Amino acid sequence: MKKLISIFVLLVSFAFTSNSYSKTEIHWWYGNSGFLGDVIIEIANRFNDSQDEYMVIPTGKGSYEDNMAATIAAFRAGDQPHYSQVYDAGAAIMVAQVKNGVVIGFEEMAEKYGIDVDADNYIPGIKNFYADGDGKMIGVPFNSSTCLMYANMDILNEVGIEEVPKTYEEFEGMAQKILDAGYIPLLQSHSPWIWTENFFSRHNLLMTDGNNGYDDVPTKTLFADTEAFVYHWTKVKEWYEKGYYGYKGRAWGDNQAPFTNGEAAFWFGSAASFGGMKGVLPNFTTNPIPYWDSVTGGKEYPTFIGGAANWILNGHTEEEYKGLAKFIEFMGSPEMDLYYHNMTGYAAVTKGGIELAETINFYRASPYHKAVGDQLGLEGSTIPGGYRAGNWPQIREVIYENVEPMLNGDISVEKALGNMDKGAAKLLKQFAKTL
Amino acid sequence: MKKVQFKSYYSQYFFLAPQLLILLIFLYWPIIQTFKDAFTMQDAFGFGSQFAGFDNFLFVFSDPSYFTAFKFTIIYSFVITLITGSIGLLLAVQANKVLHGKNVYKTLLIWPYAIAPAVVGVMANYFFSERYGLLHHLFNNLWGFNWYEDVFDAYIYVIIAGSWKQISANFIFFLAGLQAIQKTVIEASIIDCKSNIRRFWTITFPLLMPTTFFLIIINITYAFFDTFGIIDTTTIGAPGSETKTLVYKAYIDGFKGLDLGSAGAQSIMMMIIVLFITIFQFRYIEGKIHYN
Repeated sequence: MKKLISIFVLLVSFAFTSNSYSKTEIHWWYGNSGFLGDVIIEIANRFNDSQDEYMVIPTGKGSYEDNMAATIAAFRAGDQPHYSQVYDAGAAIMVAQVKNGVVIGFEEMAEKYGIDVDADNYIPGIKNFYADGDGKMIGVPFNSSTCLMYANMDILNEVGIEEVPKTYEEFEGMAQKILDAGYIPLLQSHSPWIWTENFFSRHNLLMTDGNNGYDDVPTKTLFADTEAFVYHWTKVKEWYEKGYYGYKGRAWGDNQAPFTNGEAAFWFGSAASFGGMKGVLPNFTTNPIPYWDSVTGGKEYPTFIGGAANWILNGHTEEEYKGLAKFIEFMGSPEMDLYYHNMTGYAAVTKGGIELAETINFYRASPYHKAVGDQLGLEGSTIPGGYRAGNWPQIREVIYENVEPMLNGDISVEKALGNMDKGAAKLLKQFAKTL
Repeated sequence: MKKVQFKSYYSQYFFLAPQLLILLIFLYWPIIQTFKDAFTMQDAFGFGSQFAGFDNFLFVFSDPSYFTAFKFTIIYSFVITLITGSIGLLLAVQANKVLHGKNVYKTLLIWPYAIAPAVVGVMANYFFSERYGLLHHLFNNLWGFNWYEDVFDAYIYVIIAGSWKQISANFIFFLAGLQAIQKTVIEASIIDCKSNIRRFWTITFPLLMPTTFFLIIINITYAFFDTFGIIDTTTIGAPGSETKTLVYKAYIDGFKGLDLGSAGAQSIMMMIIVLFITIFQFRYIEGKIHYN
């Protein structure tokens, strides 16, 4: 009996202690892991320390795909978080959910709870990527990257190349030299993202009908119909056969590892990839991704935003949304934006953050950070700054499924791109039915 | 013998209730949900749900990678059943002959069975890594191994990863089967026939038929369903979709692609396939087996 009483007393006292600390809890789910996950936790901690009414509780759910699946499952069970990080390929799905009352758009939230960060404070390219058809920003831009070219300067010096290539033509001209010196000239980590989606943006070409889905629900992709795209993959296949380009499977890290180990001259990855390279690879630079001079006539166009945004989910109390509004405000401040930019290599997403970086001469201190802003800040594109195509995660899978047999010679380039179009059209049709 | 009778009609239901409840919640309810998903078209969040008839099934059947997955699953389960069964049997027969240190052999051979498939996959990952993989280097020296693109090489990768652990399961059951064979039968056969090998195929192996039959079912089920973790930690279905099992494809479409309709239709197809395999086995194979 004594034992029971003491347990009871203990429980009651626990209940009281937790009560006395009671703050309004705001749940934030994310799909980053490792170092990037640690930075997210640090952001939440800083916010929690900055005030004592609200408490943001970040929970890592694994990868982007895992977090999206977890968020959806939670929503269907009525147990969704307040704030969830959903990646670029899922943007169309999330934007479509505003009308179903799943997602609350940023601008609606800002109006209702008076967030002191204006949508126009986010840089236009990034803002538009997560906006609906009317240009209203829905998702809150967060980790925004794009694909960049990493170059191992020691290898280039060794074989006597002075300038990093700006175009694929220039790369092609120097690849043999690199190969002869015993290095892999080129690797890249994500065929659908880097060499499909961003091939189109980099060359100012439309990827789907319906103006990339911004005007109409897209019904097909324009892979095989785009001459430049066919040309690009014909070249890639040729490079692969000559050894200019090495393919190490679908895993991001397997393609990055040879570059990090100093075995490859160039690697295409994300703007946020250099964290693990600093201090490991002695002499590397980050550069804009090359383009085909013959396609654009010497002009450069910006790439799409990669990475993810945070989305506000419906179904919580007024008080909790007030807290979330404070948190969004906190994350949108120039200091936090620059902190995140500096820690991760993701682009600064607010105008304030960019101004602050310039004021303190940030890019002189860390040149690695510069390329991402330069590439995203390019002007002159006539295509939308993104694509609104549903079922995109599966379409990426279709792209992968056809790249491999194309590289090993089982199917021709035309056939592979045709297969991609066919698979994508079916998936787009399927998605259109659920709208 | 006296029969036990319940006085009340209700008490039996009371005692059955927990079992039934568990079955209902964890088996029948998901099955009903799967049927619901398979016959409706809905977006990822469950909105816009409408009856779709057989649209989801037609969608699955018009997907070439579904047939690739089907082909791979059949090949995979056949090869895994064959490899694990034969190696398991060989090891069991040999271990059964050992006189000294029998238990040490037994224990060591059983160990891999305790390892989770996902962990096996991660281990296989090391063996087949291009950078430091032992098996990768061995095969690469033999014929230029590249599982990133070569379908045959990728098959080798997932078959080795998938078989290793299951050999242990086969070993245990075959060993138990061997030990259940009566000594007198073996002794009598030794008098009749000198050849070890002939004796094995004419006396021992037929007596092991019930075990073999059981293991075939277990191995096929394993290759169908339990290799999910192995595929997910090794090839993730590459190259193309050549090493996706049906289960893995349903998972990718349902959880990564967020298309529950298609995943539901695939699950029902899988149910039908397993049903047919089981019926076939019990009808045509079991009839040829003599239990004691």
